[in-house]
Amino acid sequence: MASHAKVAQQTARMLFGMSVVDGAVSADRVAGVLEYVEKHKVANPVMVLKAYHRLVAGELAKGVALVEHAGAISGATLAAISSAMSRRYGRAVTATARPNAELLAGMRVRVADDIYESSIAGQLAALGSSV
Amino acid sequence: MLTHLLILAEAAAPEAAPAGNAISKITQEFGISWPFILAQVLNFSIVAFLLWKFAFKPVLATLDERQKRIADGLRYTDEMKAKLEAVQQDSVATAKRAQAEASKVVDEARKTAKEFLDKQTQEAAVKAGEILAKAQQVIELEKKKMLAEARTEIAHLVVETTKRVLAKELSEADRSRYNESAARELTNA
Repeated sequence: MASHAKVAQQTARMLFGMSVVDGAVSADRVAGVLEYVEKHKVANPVMVLKAYHRLVAGELAKGVALVEHAGAISGATLAAISSAMSRRYGRAVTATARPNAELLAGMRVRVADDIYESSIAGQLAALGSSV
Repeated sequence: MLTHLLILAEAAAPEAAPAGNAISKITQEFGISWPFILAQVLNFSIVAFLLWKFAFKPVLATLDERQKRIADGLRYTDEMKAKLEAVQQDSVATAKRAQAEASKVVDEARKTAKEFLDKQTQEAAVKAGEILAKAQQVIELEKKKMLAEARTEIAHLVVETTKRVLAKELSEADRSRYNESAARELTNA
């Protein structure tokens, strides 16, 4: 079972490598990979596709900055955040806004697994955990 | 037989008379008759012999035997007394030794009991100290834990209260200003 998962992971990585063009996931390549998997017999296709999905989703998430905010933010602010994240990660990162009243005020930016937060809720949580 | 002896003595008496008139005279004056004397001596000797042979000797033997038995009994009694005294002395000595050994055993038992009691007392004191120390540690830990929990709870309450107050009190303008500040912080970080 473990060897099957390992083989599926390797296959998914290989397929994911074929899906990336110039450091970015190509929709055409992804469609081609899926067509290839559909037409050809791949060992453990479900496991392979799940792993492939995780890799593609992770890679796509690296290009998206999810900005959670409480209160209104301007388009200029979103553009500034997008620009700053693009500089930080060295690739194009688009900012997407999502209101979150739990933050009280401020914002939380999530890029893939990285989280940047500057909010009153975050400061209060830090204060509560430090006491 | 005695009669024959008296007759012979009377027959021999005229032949002995010329030997000494003085003696005869004395014997006549005193009425002594040699044949009778001889017969009496003979009779006495016979009687004495018979008595010695059949009366005195057995009686003396019996007396000797009884005397010997009495002497043996007395000697046996003396020996028994000596043995009894020796046994009594041995008993007394044995009793003294037993008493001394018993006293020694009792002393050792007391000493051992005292040492055991002292040891138990010390161990009990040590254990009591350990239990007390552990109890104090537990109390201290419980106290710290309670204080930490209280601190956490208070902090949680303060944070939650602050959140609610801020959620009510913050205006949209305040949030916008804070968002601008946060955006600058995030973009400059």
